[in-house]
Amino acid sequence: MLEQIKKIKQEAENELKKISTSQELDTLRLKYLSRKGLISSLFSDLKDVVANERAIVGQKINQLKSDVESSYKELQESLKSDKETEDDVDLFLPGRQPFIGRLHPLTIVLDEIKQIFFNLGFHVEDGPEIETDYYNFEALNIPKDHPARDMQDTLYITEEILLRTHTSPVQIRVMQSQKPPISIIAPGRVYRRDTPDASHSPFFHQVEGLVVDEGISFGDLKGVITAFAHKMFGSDIKVRFRPSFFPFTEPSAEYDFNCVFCRGKGCRVCKNTGWMEISGAGMVDPNVFEAVGYDSEKYTGYAFGMGVDRIAMLKYGINDIRLFFENDLRFLNQF
Amino acid sequence: MKVSYNWLKDYVDFDLTPEELAEKLTMVGFEVEEIIQTLSKFEKIVVGKIKSCVKHPDADRLSVCEVELPDNTYNVICGAPNVQKGQNIPFAQVGVSLPNGLKIKKAKIRGTESFGMICSEEELGLVEHSDGIWVLPEEWSVGEDVYERLLDTQDFIFDIAITPNRPDAMSMIGIAREIAAFTERDLKIPKINLVEDDEPASKLISIEIENPEGCPRYAAKVIKNVKIKASPKWMADRLTAAGVRPINNIVDITNYILLETGQPLHAFDHKFIEDSKIVVRFSTENEKFITLDEKERELPHETVLICDGKKSVAIGGIMGGLNSEVTEKTKTVLLESAYFNPVHISRSSKKLGLSTEASQRFERGMDPSGVLFAANRAAYLMSELAGGKILSGEVDNYLNKIESRKISVRIERINKVLGTSITENEVIKILSSLGIEYKNGKATIPTFRPDLEREVDIIEEIARCITFDNIPVKEKTSIYYENQANDKDTYLSFLKKKLVELEFNEALTNSMIPKEMITDENKDDYLVPIYNPISDDMNIMRPSLIPGLLKSVIYNLNRNQPNIRLFELGRIFTKINDQYESEQPYNICGVICGNTKNPNWNEGTATVDFYDIKGLVESLINKIFLDKVEFILYDSHIYFDKKSTLSIKRGEQTLGYFGKIKREVLNKIDIEQDVFSFEFNADLLFDIRNINRQYKSFSKYPYVEKDLAFVLDQKVNSNEIINAIARAGGSLVESVNVFDVFTGENIGHGKKSIAFRIKFQSYEKTLQDEEVQGLFLKIINKIESTFHANLRE
Ligand SMILES: [Zn+2]
Repeated sequence: MLEQIKKIKQEAENELKKISTSQELDTLRLKYLSRKGLISSLFSDLKDVVANERAIVGQKINQLKSDVESSYKELQESLKSDKETEDDVDLFLPGRQPFIGRLHPLTIVLDEIKQIFFNLGFHVEDGPEIETDYYNFEALNIPKDHPARDMQDTLYITEEILLRTHTSPVQIRVMQSQKPPISIIAPGRVYRRDTPDASHSPFFHQVEGLVVDEGISFGDLKGVITAFAHKMFGSDIKVRFRPSFFPFTEPSAEYDFNCVFCRGKGCRVCKNTGWMEISGAGMVDPNVFEAVGYDSEKYTGYAFGMGVDRIAMLKYGINDIRLFFENDLRFLNQF
Repeated sequence: MKVSYNWLKDYVDFDLTPEELAEKLTMVGFEVEEIIQTLSKFEKIVVGKIKSCVKHPDADRLSVCEVELPDNTYNVICGAPNVQKGQNIPFAQVGVSLPNGLKIKKAKIRGTESFGMICSEEELGLVEHSDGIWVLPEEWSVGEDVYERLLDTQDFIFDIAITPNRPDAMSMIGIAREIAAFTERDLKIPKINLVEDDEPASKLISIEIENPEGCPRYAAKVIKNVKIKASPKWMADRLTAAGVRPINNIVDITNYILLETGQPLHAFDHKFIEDSKIVVRFSTENEKFITLDEKERELPHETVLICDGKKSVAIGGIMGGLNSEVTEKTKTVLLESAYFNPVHISRSSKKLGLSTEASQRFERGMDPSGVLFAANRAAYLMSELAGGKILSGEVDNYLNKIESRKISVRIERINKVLGTSITENEVIKILSSLGIEYKNGKATIPTFRPDLEREVDIIEEIARCITFDNIPVKEKTSIYYENQANDKDTYLSFLKKKLVELEFNEALTNSMIPKEMITDENKDDYLVPIYNPISDDMNIMRPSLIPGLLKSVIYNLNRNQPNIRLFELGRIFTKINDQYESEQPYNICGVICGNTKNPNWNEGTATVDFYDIKGLVESLINKIFLDKVEFILYDSHIYFDKKSTLSIKRGEQTLGYFGKIKREVLNKIDIEQDVFSFEFNADLLFDIRNINRQYKSFSKYPYVEKDLAFVLDQKVNSNEIINAIARAGGSLVESVNVFDVFTGENIGHGKKSIAFRIKFQSYEKTLQDEEVQGLFLKIINKIESTFHANLRE
């Protein structure tokens, strides 16, 4: 009996291999799987097997039946789909598109900036957008009547409460609550009383950086900004620092990167200078350390800012800042 | 500030091209934002001589001229009234293009032919406006190229951004001092050879300072017999180049000295100074004054006022008065040169809303020691250019002399802060080029540098002068601190990514929105208004992310982009207990409208409805692993329709809301489509976040599915039935889903039919039919009795 099962199995396998049309397949079905087929007859023969072997033999026949059935079904499917593919279907019709969700380009760029600084050892901090005059100005060495207040046209809620004009207040909040060593970046939204146009938005996004410890020098600041420029835009990009003035840093600098379009050779975008202004930086002014109760003899530090919107504009070649906030799907779908 | 390249050469010899000079200035902290050439290129304009000039036979205003060039003579028609025989003029032949784009063609005017054009200065782009043709000097020879001839007068005007800490650099001499320092040349300060009259100035004027805290020094000179006329061309040109309009020689001289030295001066007509006396005092309450610009101004408290014996004549350091200004009739000039306290000038200027060349300098801090130099230099020019007689000496009220400051500076501190290795000798040399003496560890600061107060200020000067390029970059920066991710920041990024996975586009919208968009009656209780908004379109801080996103929706709808799924994560702002700054939570908000799917070639697509936003909210809750969340009916939301809103609760906490946006809200910004939205408080989501995921094994045994349908009262909450089914079935109920809902006459008015599919599964064994059947009956009994439901067969 077992011999017979083995033989039928062998035969069925051989025949299955040769089948190439539906008709041949149907013949095979009739031969093996139909009610009068070979496998059914095996079941009827089972009653002749001695009782103690019947279970084992029965199992073998069952196994054979299911093997042949599944091979049959497989072949049936593949013969069917071959046919459809060849005759009926235009594979070049458009596929069914899901909606595609995307992060905003400013989020993408900010995530990249955060990652670069995280790898350089910076921790992310956050601060409020509605700030007090104290944190936005006073503690940053910008007293009332200081001409530097004119540099930033401020939006006020009340006389003492305002929309922060920069992310620098987070420097103060962090230093008030932590002791050196400090190495943080603080990304966030800031506000200026500017009428919107292609290069101005009344709100935009900055990343503030602050490092305070013993033995921090201007050379460290140059090192970090240079490392950032190389990681963000490529290691051929040069960085230059120019003296400037901010009340909360001394010495103060503006820093420029090589134009990312011409890589420093000079082009229309950079007005042939080869440079692009990025933002401001400098060594933390001792008056700021005093405001937060740090020993300015013992500790030195540097701070820097950068505009996320500006960096994203450079990175993607965007020439109008308003595009970021109109949320036109034709814009958002490009990132 | 506008600085003339040619004029700078009066004070320092340098051999740098304009571009090189601009680059150097920029790198020491004086950013040259623009270089403007005074002469823009024009071509092929030559000197011609007018050989004859007669009236046009048929036009009164036109002349017919013969213009002689070396090779030929041309007939030209000219409309300028000042054209005359014998003049040298700039001549454009046929075919030449002028800077304004005009191309000269052969023309016929009222029957007479014209072969070229006689040009004005305006037409050559040399001045803004000119009346008539430009008559050239006689010594220019016929046929000479006019542009070549003018090249000698070419100047380059630098537009320099002066930082507010450098009042000393708001002058030609100030900039020249910096150039002298980096070119290592001498600064040439103009010598003054005063020829003074015997009569002393003190005979015509006396000075009293009542409030020296506002005005520590006030000096005056008197110049008699001045002849008021126009300034000579060289001076007018220099003023114009610097952006100052020439007025008359006396006023121009005060402006010229302001530009040259930085020291603001004021010239009074001495005739109007009553009692021959100047009194400097603070303004009193509600005092008014009419300034030179003919405006009456109410003076802020403690404004420094310049008065004579009877009346006020100027706002000290800001603007002179109409009642004492120099006119063409002025004979005797009283020349003021003073030093005002920066704080008082700044305060008054801001409160008056009046910012002048003078106030901008005084509020940053002028040189108290430079007062007399400027006065004498101006007096000298008044004698030279206005024929004035300078009375001898000056009246100088300066009781408490402001001394040079001394600052301790440590060489090792310089190197520590900058990361350099500069020697003491280098420091001495650098500082001396800036006029600072460094000896025995102490720097003596000249009074023209009020910004240098501390050691760190000197360190900055050193850094600036060696230039930042020469500070070595520390390749291995010294941040080795242990670094940890910010949990909140990481969580907010996680939320954003989950919404992107749910096929939302991230938007960023203005946090300032129009108050008009808020329809709520109690809005004034919680809104945060902006005191000085840019426009009515941005006059409050957003109390929700919904209005901003709706603006983005209409923006896209207006551009034929109807299928929208946008979300934003950002702060919202509300006033709580009259505190504006206390609560600024992050919210996360999504809006959807249009189709549920992208249109496709063989499938229809439906418009989004409540169950789409609900499904998205449920998926989000699932994706961020929030448990124990309940949805509760909510009918008083500001933005959501009261019949289609659910609040999202976890225990007592409300995490957010979702539903259909109210029609009246949408009408405010002309959205006709239905819009659905959700808004969560992301701060709360962060607080209850469930980040420690533990793997839970799933059942290895087959499940059994059973369907059943009930006819129920329409008011019954289907979620309660689902919960009741789960409870009645116990732990073997794996899931309960709704697969069909309908209403209709055949099941009775006010009734609905809901069909459920219940999945039974055990973690321990294969379930037997009898066991499942038992649970199934138990469930049916429970639902029928609890909800007065009837099982549908
Ligand atoms: Zn370029």
